[in-house]
Amino acid sequence: MHANLARRMDWLRASDIREMLKVTQRPDMISLAGGLPAPEIFPVAELAAAAARILAERGEVALQYATSEGHVPLREKIAARMNRIYGTSFQAAEILVTTGSQQALDLTAKLFLDEGDGVACESPTYLAAIQAFDVFHPRWVEVATDDDGMDPDALAAALTANPHLKLVYVIPNSQNPSGRTWTLERRRRFMEVVARHPVTVIEDNPYGEICYDGEPLPSLASFDTQGQVICLGTFSKTVAPGLRVGWMAVRGALFGKLTILKGAADLHTSTLGQLVLDAYLDGGTLDENIRRTCAVYRERRDAMISALEREMPPGVRFTRPSGGLFIWLELPAGMNARALLPRCLERGVAFVPGGGFFPNGTREDTVRLNFSNMPVPRIVEGIRRLGEAVRELATGR
Amino acid sequence: MDRLDPQLEDRERTPPFGELRIDRTSEVPVYVQIRDQLRARIERGVLPPGAALPPERRLAEQLGINRSTVLAAYGALKADGLVGAHVGRGTTVLAPPLPERGDEGAAALPWRELVRRGPASREDPVLRDLLALAERRDVVSLAVGLPPAELLPVAELAEVQARLVAERGAETLLHSPTEGIASLREALAARAAGWGMRATPHEILVTSGSQQGLDLIARVFLDPGDVVVVEEPSYLGALEVFRRAGARLVGVATDGEGMRVDLLEGLLSRHRPKLIYTLPSFQNPSGEVMSLARRQALLALARRHQVPVVEDDPYRELAYEQPPPPPLAALDGAASRPLGSPSGSANGVTIYVSSTSKILFPGLRVGWIAAPAEVIRRLSLAKQSADLHSPTLGQWVVERFLREGLLDRHLARVRPHYAARRDAMLAALAPAAALGVEWTRPRGGFYIWCSLPSALAPSRLLTAAAHEGVAYLPGSACFAEEPTGGHLRLNFTALAPAELREGGQRLLRALGTALTTAAPAWRASGSGTRPIV
Repeated sequence: MHANLARRMDWLRASDIREMLKVTQRPDMISLAGGLPAPEIFPVAELAAAAARILAERGEVALQYATSEGHVPLREKIAARMNRIYGTSFQAAEILVTTGSQQALDLTAKLFLDEGDGVACESPTYLAAIQAFDVFHPRWVEVATDDDGMDPDALAAALTANPHLKLVYVIPNSQNPSGRTWTLERRRRFMEVVARHPVTVIEDNPYGEICYDGEPLPSLASFDTQGQVICLGTFSKTVAPGLRVGWMAVRGALFGKLTILKGAADLHTSTLGQLVLDAYLDGGTLDENIRRTCAVYRERRDAMISALEREMPPGVRFTRPSGGLFIWLELPAGMNARALLPRCLERGVAFVPGGGFFPNGTREDTVRLNFSNMPVPRIVEGIRRLGEAVRELATGR
Repeated sequence: MDRLDPQLEDRERTPPFGELRIDRTSEVPVYVQIRDQLRARIERGVLPPGAALPPERRLAEQLGINRSTVLAAYGALKADGLVGAHVGRGTTVLAPPLPERGDEGAAALPWRELVRRGPASREDPVLRDLLALAERRDVVSLAVGLPPAELLPVAELAEVQARLVAERGAETLLHSPTEGIASLREALAARAAGWGMRATPHEILVTSGSQQGLDLIARVFLDPGDVVVVEEPSYLGALEVFRRAGARLVGVATDGEGMRVDLLEGLLSRHRPKLIYTLPSFQNPSGEVMSLARRQALLALARRHQVPVVEDDPYRELAYEQPPPPPLAALDGAASRPLGSPSGSANGVTIYVSSTSKILFPGLRVGWIAAPAEVIRRLSLAKQSADLHSPTLGQWVVERFLREGLLDRHLARVRPHYAARRDAMLAALAPAAALGVEWTRPRGGFYIWCSLPSALAPSRLLTAAAHEGVAYLPGSACFAEEPTGGHLRLNFTALAPAELREGGQRLLRALGTALTTAAPAWRASGSGTRPIV
């Protein structure tokens, strides 16, 4: 059947993440490779109670077909939460519930991208977004990004040089993979730049509430005067990933178009998952659970940073994220992370080589480290082994 | 705020709403007339940003129309982003999305240019109105494709769910593999083996409902301009997915034995299709079953022309008399492999798509595909991009229902109910024969398919049915191209027999009305997009 496949499928490359997860399933492996939240922090008992309540009281609704837009009370809660935390002004009618935020990326790509259309992104950017968009053969424009966020002058230059750019995809809060959070000033200037161009901004925000130092900063959408920003959100990091409930907040005429695409993709998102989440949110323990989660992750982040300071040889640079799940590492000049990986796997520690996070594939001297999924002693030991491997490779042994 | 902006009244001598004209003889629905006139005024600046539209009730009185019609018009304007509704302020005209800043500021985004040039959204306003109608409480809806809520095994599910959480805890809430949890893939392979299929667990992909299965197949196989052969009639959700992928649909007629395979060979030679799409067992929408001989002939043709067959089979287990012939995927495997060769479907031409939505819980969104491993691998990559994986808890629930025999028990319980409902619906339809209406007598599945006499315009029946308070799926949505005659799809599973009889009576009255008089137009606006399945 090979010959019958659509031509666009030739572009799909085997996923780095997929290959990686195979190795990390070994129980003795210290995995700093995944992007997973820590399972022990999920509110399992509360979700189970919410599910039991839903099934007892409204089982017939929870298990039937439902509208493509999503469960209305849940959409109301999502809008209210976004508006409260991120200074936006979305209404429930502007929230489209999706099967995880991955589906939101997919629907976005389906709606906007024809072959050769331009997509601007931070450099590096989220691997699964690259994959979701790559299915539609876009042209990627990587925009210089530093510890304060995307460089607005570089973005302005990119938009001027590429008049056919359709989307700007960004993760301003504790980005995956870099861990960087944009400053308030950069957010303002970013919006000033994009407002002068007919592009749509996809603001992906899975980690905004996973915030260890201070409060989350306002969403790009809070500066948006033209309905130019589409916000993506998810409960995968704050409640549980297996529920597969995410959303997109969209103004104006695009909402209807996305709803039609959503219906064609899977009719609607699991009703049970939506109602369970809605009931869980009614319980009012989400904020408390997020606080608890952040306390656990903060300790792990701190442990990883001090281990990195201790173990890494000179020439290694790394980010100090204020939230999220990842630290980004730049290896000494000339060192290739793909060459480093086998030496680390031998030592029983795994990470994701950073090259895959650059859609145009330029930087192989980078590493993404996850700190949320391993207890502190394992993190400390993992970084010790990583430091050993880096030093060994640097001295050419 | 009932008053219009005073500034506005200064500028315009006549009140902006005084001249709204309703033409009751027009084909254009009244709410569309109102919408278009208001839209023109907003676009010309007669109604500037901030201007309040009159309260619906007042405008309805002024124009002598139903308030719901005004609501529909306002709703349409709102959907277009022209007006907004605010508690306490009523409905007001919104500012066009212009930037605040000066000279080189961008104009409103040119969405039309920004979205894909590719196949556009084809939104059928009739279907939308129909679904809105089906939502009304006073309407008997035969338009849906639902199992009945009161027969869902909710208590069993609650028990299974509690047990799963107790035994597996957070695992039921965590990420799971893109292909589906291994134990469910094994259980599905075992069930398929019961129908003669030889798919191994790694030849199974769990999907978020069979709709996603179809969507994934479209992305993996179809480039714009490719041809897909579909039965006429066929499942409209599949037609929509194929169209959206840019495919050209070529219809092949069906009869009481399913697809007219005798017509297929010519189509395969002429159009060189990428896929053949069929629902051979208790088809949606016709309820018909493809005969064994036709199945074998279809497979032989597909093999000879090297065209994959997508077999959509969610109704197979809802047989009320005798079971349907084996799936194409079973016949395919048996024929294409010498006896004693290893199991698996590596040489098959069939991509088997199914779902638990019709036999268990639609809201769980658990469907599956069985296909050669090479195809499953590519579909999995596409699924990873589409939604990473299907919800974990729902997969575990289905796994338990399969392994603990709960599904079989449930099916044994509901089949007699469905059969009784089908009989009630058929009995209620009997008088329609005298009006020249014909229909199928399905031996399973969810639907009865009616063909209208040529003298009866389908649009007129739709209007009459709306007035009688009965909804159905108009058959035109189920064809590759506009059909010549009129058809209806009637669901008989979602409602109790008494409701079906009532719906049947309303439909008969509507048929009578539509055959004798011209009925006034009816339109509604909906509150959400109900999937049509």
